[in-house]
Amino acid sequence: MIQDYLVLSIVLFCLGMLGVITRRNVFTVFMSVELMLNAANLAFIAFSRLHQTMDGHVLAMLVMAVAAAEAALALAVVILLHKHKSRLDTNVFSLLKG
Amino acid sequence: MNDFLSLLPLLVTCCGAIVLMLLAALEKYRPESGALLSLGFLAAAFFLQLSTLGEPARPLFRELFNGMASTSGFSAAAGAIVLACAFFTVMITHTYFKENSFATLEFYAVLLFAVCGMLLLTLASELICAFIALEIMSLAVYVLVGFNRNSLRATEALFKYLLLGAFAGAFFTMGTALVYGAAGSTRFYDIAVFTQSGGASAPLMIGGVFFLLVALLFKAAAFPFHAWVVDVYDGASVPVTGFMATALKTALFALFANFLAQSAGLHDKWITFLFVISVMTMFGGNLIAIGQDNLKRMLAASGIVHSGYLLIALVAISADQFSGSVIAYYLAAYGAGTLGMFAALSYLGGKDERRVSFEDFKGLAKVRPFSAAAITVFLLSMAGIPPTAGFMGKFYVITAAINADHIALAVLGIVSSILSMWYYLRLIVLMYFHEAEEGFDTGRCGWAGTGTAILVASVFVIGIYPIII
Repeated sequence: MIQDYLVLSIVLFCLGMLGVITRRNVFTVFMSVELMLNAANLAFIAFSRLHQTMDGHVLAMLVMAVAAAEAALALAVVILLHKHKSRLDTNVFSLLKG
Repeated sequence: MNDFLSLLPLLVTCCGAIVLMLLAALEKYRPESGALLSLGFLAAAFFLQLSTLGEPARPLFRELFNGMASTSGFSAAAGAIVLACAFFTVMITHTYFKENSFATLEFYAVLLFAVCGMLLLTLASELICAFIALEIMSLAVYVLVGFNRNSLRATEALFKYLLLGAFAGAFFTMGTALVYGAAGSTRFYDIAVFTQSGGASAPLMIGGVFFLLVALLFKAAAFPFHAWVVDVYDGASVPVTGFMATALKTALFALFANFLAQSAGLHDKWITFLFVISVMTMFGGNLIAIGQDNLKRMLAASGIVHSGYLLIALVAISADQFSGSVIAYYLAAYGAGTLGMFAALSYLGGKDERRVSFEDFKGLAKVRPFSAAAITVFLLSMAGIPPTAGFMGKFYVITAAINADHIALAVLGIVSSILSMWYYLRLIVLMYFHEAEEGFDTGRCGWAGTGTAILVASVFVIGIYPIII
């Protein structure tokens, strides 16, 4: 059973990673990051069941709280970006080229 | 009671941040008073932190916190460095905001929240606690980077940093989940016990630690996750860049060292990986730094190189008798030099950061000899010329590498140090051996000038201190 949950979690994580790398819309990119965090949460819950302890549940709750804080800041940034560029495409940001 | 004393600096800064945030709602408090107040809180926290330096290593409030936070001489020293860096950053910002008008009281509140996160990070001895501290610190620093909302560059830097930082944060959580799956706990101590009995080779453990290292290396701007740092440092305002380069790095390496030093099994397993990363970081950083024309970008790239040296120190630590003194000393030396550089830049930069490139500082020594001399001292310290702090820092790192039988690493470190002379000396040559093309008229040096002078002194004091003692 634990393998199935783990595989699902890894698949979700990889999907999120793929989204961050390939998508060009700012919203989609941030959603992909959330997907990665939730993949980790799923793994926490699955392992919590495996070890028969409640630690994993607590950790998942904490990660959710942090993810919410991060999402709040991300949305503020999206508004700021829209004010400057009136577009939400990551391609338009080209002032800083490393 | 002693446990409470160790937590007190964290509580004081946290209270300071909340007080400042509440005061920001009142009209009559100007940003200047915010600077004064935060200086007060930071100074109080710093002296409290100093008083805990001699305390033995132990978990804090074992019953209450369940081993989530612990202190040691190294953690206390790292906390003191973080607080000192924050103190000088506030001094720098006070002057910087005279020429660049986007100051609000909230800036200092957010800065203090960042310091809270960093202090918690130095104390963390559990992965989720570390994750939360990391995010408190990162969220506050993101806001600081994008604080100048009218600047497109700052917004772009903020976006880049937030996106990649969140990405790294996701790696950290996934790594934590996998380590939790393998070891059944996220406390460093339990992970160490698990890896001691051969658990370091468990597939889940390898995957988890790999993810964790990726996230930490990303935050530390090590190769191959270093590309963002140059852009973000360039886009952020000068004092914030200085703060990120010094305090953030100190907190991060404190966590890194605390995590790796807990268990010999873990450290031995990943030593080759860290070896390769540290060498690549040093030389990659040097390559980037040599190609830069913008001073802030050069300093960002040199920050990458210094991360490389710190990684050498991490490779060389031994879990049996970990004191972290080498890492703490290097961080203090690097912090004094880099922050001093940014202090000088913040008042020499002029209105809206006009002077940014190497060429802009041509002939500085003819017009402002003291500032030029201060910058020279900082650059020589970063390059590692005796009798500055930077030299002793590098000396200890290299010696530690040799003692741990990593002769190749020590030699590569010295080679990289020689390479880095190129871009440090370039600025010194431009300042001293060219005629001035402008008058370098700036506002009054103010607190940033005082800060620069103190940092020049501390570069020498930190450098000479171990010889005398």
